[in-house]
Amino acid sequence: MNDRFEIDNVDRQIIAALRADGRATNQQIASDLGLTAATVSARIKRMEDANKLRVVAVSDFSAHGFNIMMEVAIEVDGRPASEVAAELAELPEVFAAHLVTGRYDIDLLVVLRSFDDLTELMSNRLSKVAGIRSMMPAIAVDVVKYQFDVAPIDAWDQS
Amino acid sequence: MMHPQIDELDRQLIDILSHDARVSNRKIAADLGVTEGTVRGRIRRLQNENLIAFTAITSFELGNQSRLAIIGVQADVVKARAIAEQISQLPMCNAVMLMMGRFTILAFCLFHELDQLHQIASDQILAIDGVHHVETSIAVRTVKYNARVVRITADH
Repeated sequence: MNDRFEIDNVDRQIIAALRADGRATNQQIASDLGLTAATVSARIKRMEDANKLRVVAVSDFSAHGFNIMMEVAIEVDGRPASEVAAELAELPEVFAAHLVTGRYDIDLLVVLRSFDDLTELMSNRLSKVAGIRSMMPAIAVDVVKYQFDVAPIDAWDQS
Repeated sequence: MMHPQIDELDRQLIDILSHDARVSNRKIAADLGVTEGTVRGRIRRLQNENLIAFTAITSFELGNQSRLAIIGVQADVVKARAIAEQISQLPMCNAVMLMMGRFTILAFCLFHELDQLHQIASDQILAIDGVHHVETSIAVRTVKYNARVVRITADH
C-alpha cells in the first residue's frame, strides 16, 4: 500500500464529476471545472496508474445470472490461511475473499446462479481445497445497502 | 427473482465497459462490428434497467478509510429490517445485508483507527434496540474482491 499518495481538491472535483457520470469526456469535465482537457486527462491517469482510481461500468449480480449470495466463514487447520485463501480465490464462484481476525480465518462472499450450483461447489470444488477445517455459511436474504464506489483496487485485478 | 434478458452483445459491452468506462461509443462499435447507435441504445437500456452503472471507484486509502471490518449482528428477527436500515445510515458501513444463518445482519464497514471501529460496532450498532450481539472481524488482507459486479439498488 502506498501511503504517500496525495490528492488535492482538483483531483477530488474530478472524482466527483466522474462519480456523477463516468462517461463524461475529459473536455466536458474540463469545461465544468475550468481546467484544460489535458489537465483532466493527466490527473485521471496519475490516479489510475497509482491504483487509486478506476472509472468503470459496474454490473448488477442479476446481469450475470447470480441470484444467490452467501457469506462463508472458514476455519483453517494444518495449512497457512493465506495459502488456503489464495486457492479459494481462484474459484469463479468466490467473489470476495478476505483474511480476517477472530474466530474464523477466511471470510468469503460466494455467488451462485441457483442452489443447484451448491452441490458442484461443495463436492467438486471446496472439498478439494486442503486445510479447510469447517465452513459456516450465511445466506444473504436481501441487500439493504451496497455502495460500490470505494474498493480495494490493489486486490481486484485478481478477479 | 429478476431474470433480465441479456444477450451476447450486452455481455460483450459489459465486459468492455467494466474495464474502462471511458471508451467511446465509436471505438466500441468498431470493435464489436455494430453501429454507434446500437451501442448507445444498448448502454441506455442496461442503465435504465439498473443492470449497469458508470462510476469512479476509489481505493480505500483515498477516503482515509484504510481498513475493512466485517460485522455480524444477531438481532430480533422481527426488527431485523429496521435495524439493517439504521446500520445503513452509518456512513462508514458500505454494505448491509439481511442474512439467514449465524447472523441476522452482516455489515461491511470501513474505518481508519481501531477506536472508530469500536465506536461503530460497540457504541452505535450494539446500542440499537433489538440488537443482541455484535461480532467483528477485521480484514487483514483482501485476497480477492470483484468490485465490478455489484448490487445496483434503485436509488443509485
